[in-house]
Amino acid sequence: MNKKYIIVALILLLAISFAVAKSRKITCSGSTTVLPIAQAAAEAYMDKHPDVNISIRGGGSGVGIAALQNGSADIANSSRVMKAKEISQAKSKGINPTPYAVALDGIAIVVHKSNSVANLSIAQIRDIYNGKIKNWSEVGGPKLPIVVISRDVASGTFEVFNEKALGGSKVVSSAQLLASNNAVASTVGSTPGGIGYIGLGYLTEEIKTVKVNSITPNTKTVQDGSYPLARKLYMYTNGKAKGDLGSYIAFIQSDAGQKIVVEQGFIALK
Amino acid sequence: MKKLLLATLVGLFLLPALLGALELKISGEMWNRWTLEQGKVFADTSLTAYKKEITKNFFSLERGYVGMEAKFSQSMKGRFTVDIFSSDILKDGAGLKLKYAYLDFSNLIPIPDLTTTVGLQKVYFGSIYDWSYNLIGKAPTDEYKYANSADYGISLNGYLPGGWGEYQLGMYNGEGYKNYGSNLKDNIDPAFLANLRIVPTAGLTIGGSVMTNGSERKLKLADATENSSYNTQLLADGILRAAFGPLDIWAEYLYKDISYAPNFSAKDYSATCFSVFPTLKLKSLIGADIDLQGRYDRSDETRMPDSKKKNLLNAWTGGLNFNFMADDSGSPALQAQLNYVRKDYDEDASGTDYANGKKDTDIVMLQLKWRFASTIN
Repeated sequence: MNKKYIIVALILLLAISFAVAKSRKITCSGSTTVLPIAQAAAEAYMDKHPDVNISIRGGGSGVGIAALQNGSADIANSSRVMKAKEISQAKSKGINPTPYAVALDGIAIVVHKSNSVANLSIAQIRDIYNGKIKNWSEVGGPKLPIVVISRDVASGTFEVFNEKALGGSKVVSSAQLLASNNAVASTVGSTPGGIGYIGLGYLTEEIKTVKVNSITPNTKTVQDGSYPLARKLYMYTNGKAKGDLGSYIAFIQSDAGQKIVVEQGFIALK
Repeated sequence: MKKLLLATLVGLFLLPALLGALELKISGEMWNRWTLEQGKVFADTSLTAYKKEITKNFFSLERGYVGMEAKFSQSMKGRFTVDIFSSDILKDGAGLKLKYAYLDFSNLIPIPDLTTTVGLQKVYFGSIYDWSYNLIGKAPTDEYKYANSADYGISLNGYLPGGWGEYQLGMYNGEGYKNYGSNLKDNIDPAFLANLRIVPTAGLTIGGSVMTNGSERKLKLADATENSSYNTQLLADGILRAAFGPLDIWAEYLYKDISYAPNFSAKDYSATCFSVFPTLKLKSLIGADIDLQGRYDRSDETRMPDSKKKNLLNAWTGGLNFNFMADDSGSPALQAQLNYVRKDYDEDASGTDYANGKKDTDIVMLQLKWRFASTIN
């Protein structure tokens, strides 16, 4: 056989082997809220499918969506729906963002466990984050300055909170902007005057959840939509998820996967 | 250097105010380039015979973008970008251009996904506004002088629901971001622009832009005589993009119609340019983050009234990009680019003055590009 045909065949073989090898690896990037669900589900899935390697990064929903657009992630974890701009940009690059709901969540309003405030209205939350309400005594709490803690703008949790609680208004410039749910939980836990918002899966004993409009975020109120800050959590893929990708997402949506969702502190889809 | 110092001082002055913003991001990119060019030049003063010689062989900082983006509220943000470079202006070691300085308002007009942009901003014409320099060369619109990449003005930038595409309407000075002083002040004809891109299905984009513009400021000069240089321009652009798997192909068609005042109507002319630029991403095939780039341009300016300047150009570019670091979203933070460009001018259809007297050229460019972005507040 001619030498050049052998070389071409070897290159093709190499390319195919790379492509095949790649198909056994799944990369996820994005929301820190979805992160614990993705991680726990991945561990359970890889136990059953040891030939599949799932790697998961955080960074925020915006980062995950950009990674899906750039082809550097198979799954974009997102705690919000994609915007028209993001969908348009993705489609023009040949990426067809397809959402899969994997869990329900309520954005919990949290304060220091010593704080006596048990309920806040959406209007009060907005005024606290806008800086109009500066002291807990203005909402029936102790005489203590309020320390506003928020998420960075790459966060899907921030976007949903901004839409549902703030109505697009500006967060006070003195607010601390933190990069993860964990950071918000630990900062509120160590700040007596602190207030923050996190996914239900990040609640700890160091912080206290307050009701919103007199409604407690729980399975019932999130599933029936009565909790004002309820939302869906998503995994976005390029087109319909097939192969290992489809199998992994189907696993999360299955009863076994939804059990993991609940174990992680979130709400099952049904 | 004075300008650089001034810009630094202005930046330092603005910083405390910007730190009060909801979010402040600092970003930049540097393009360090080596250029080697060989071209045909006149062999002697008879201007009839040609010889081939190396006409360029230098290292330069082609771009040094440094910018700040301040988010003042969920509906308002600003961007400020300067370009520090060594290639165009060598005086004092570096040139300085103001590239962008604008404010985005997302709720000024109550239409979903619509942003109003005010200030020195992108010109949403053809491929120029999202040209990402996968090839070292400029976008065809910029390369062949159809429109400027940035200009002072106001624009409406929107996205169609469901990710079906985008649209822009804009009013600009029409002079471009490099113009200043009396050139700007004496301009009485704004440029008007409309741009639409439709994405009917993932991977397929169809778009078009139209812009009207007046050039050389105004018809009547100070002494009431007619300005023979004044002209009106109609610019049009059509774009087709197909991106499927590792292959991404753009095709762009440009048209410009230049009309002079009635007394100078003999100068009226039109020009066209057709370009194709494919990209093959090898990452999914071989694992390495390497992109192969190609480009073909056919620029036809044979109808120019000045016979010395008319030209018909065929240009081919082959390129390779190696992305060896990426940020969290997969965008390259460090990129090495190698480009070979061959420019052939049709001898029968081209005059003597095109390309500044230089004839067919071969250009090799090697560029190291690095980017950074950090949120500091």
